[in-house]
Amino acid sequence: MHIFIDAYSWINLRYLLQGLGVTLEVSVASIIFSFVLGVILGLARYVKIKYFSAIVGFVIDVIRNLPLLLILFFTYFALPEIGIRLNVIIAAIVAMSIFESAMLAEIVRSGINAVPRGQMEAARSNGLTFYQAMRYIIMPQALKKMIPPIVSQFISLVKDTSLATIILLPEATYHAQIIYGQNINYMIPMFVALAVMYFVVNYALSLASRWLDRRLVQSN
Amino acid sequence: MSMIEFHDVNKYFGKFQALKNINLTVDRGEVVTIIGPSGSGKSTLLRCINGLERITSGQLIVNDFDLADKKTDMNRIRKNVGMVFQHFNLYANKNVLQNVTLGPDLVLKRDKAEVEQEARDLLKMVGLESKADSFPGELSGGQQQRVAIARSLAMKPKAILFDEPTSALDPEMIGDVLDVMQKIAENGMTMVVVTHEMGFARHVGNRIVFMDDGKILVDSSNVNQFFDDPQEPRAKEFISKIINH
Repeated sequence: MHIFIDAYSWINLRYLLQGLGVTLEVSVASIIFSFVLGVILGLARYVKIKYFSAIVGFVIDVIRNLPLLLILFFTYFALPEIGIRLNVIIAAIVAMSIFESAMLAEIVRSGINAVPRGQMEAARSNGLTFYQAMRYIIMPQALKKMIPPIVSQFISLVKDTSLATIILLPEATYHAQIIYGQNINYMIPMFVALAVMYFVVNYALSLASRWLDRRLVQSN
Repeated sequence: MSMIEFHDVNKYFGKFQALKNINLTVDRGEVVTIIGPSGSGKSTLLRCINGLERITSGQLIVNDFDLADKKTDMNRIRKNVGMVFQHFNLYANKNVLQNVTLGPDLVLKRDKAEVEQEARDLLKMVGLESKADSFPGELSGGQQQRVAIARSLAMKPKAILFDEPTSALDPEMIGDVLDVMQKIAENGMTMVVVTHEMGFARHVGNRIVFMDDGKILVDSSNVNQFFDDPQEPRAKEFISKIINH
């Protein structure tokens, strides 16, 4: 038992929390960028503009079918070869945003497709332009349908930041590794601490989504 | 004065020809009912009028605009031509009042207070002023359809198209919707109504159009005769089926 007490020394905990700070920083930035990008890509694929939508669709499919790990390697190790050198945090954010936006684009597209056709037809017959119909009728309904899958995507994003240990991103999992690298007895206490941290963050996300969902249901 | 004119209109969906050489004129203030078996092209014909479908060939003039002309602004047509759907299609994310005011607010950009007052008057006209704050999901089918009619009227259109407005309703709801439609007709609205309600066709309609297989087989102002003693063989068969069943 004293192993746990030793492992959770103030210095170690502070170091872990610093790592968690980076995890959250990368997560939040990636969530914001991937959400914006995902909505744009999803819309681009939905509106069916000749060639453009097909190209967007192809790119989304490529990204969705690559491991995130490989995308991390590309942004951190391959981009410098063509003269783009990103700091490790930026590289992680770029990789996560690219990967997650492809995932979100599909969620957005299927969310829009799930809104009955009649809604668009009614809006157009009512004189609304395509843009107005999307903005006032289709997207508000689609977003509501998208909340649960988007939140579960965000939860896996937070967990996936731990993959960036591979490019030495100083996030929570990496810091834990450093701590038990110095004292192998601390390995299990560190795993437990990591488990608690990821759980708290992700469970909070789930609760937030449930709350949001309830509020939107009430408002309807 | 004609409101809608079809001249030799054809419409294809891929290889399937949905409308075959349609010629039809609807005058202002006229109430035309269209009947025919399902798949006969009735809905397609209606949807062409407000540009939900584009015609493949021929000429279609609505409110003096040429719909076949690529330069015609469809939004301007739709501003003047309302549409009521079989499945109501009320905006699920808006309450009843907002359903009615959205068009005038966004499209006509009129004064909000004035629009709201008119919307409340329209809801009163269709008997639903107490439901202004309800959401579509909380209403019965008949109530939703009356809101949809009010939404359409709020745009002050020159014509309203009705696509089987009572087909998805319980029998006891149909009367309320037909009453509202009759009121609108009596106020002089140009109406094209795809329906199987023979009572409405007889008492409110000025003209009856019978369609089958993408063609107009009968176009007659003598509505009672059409139902009582149909001359066209396909129409005769169709009417005997809907009467005897």
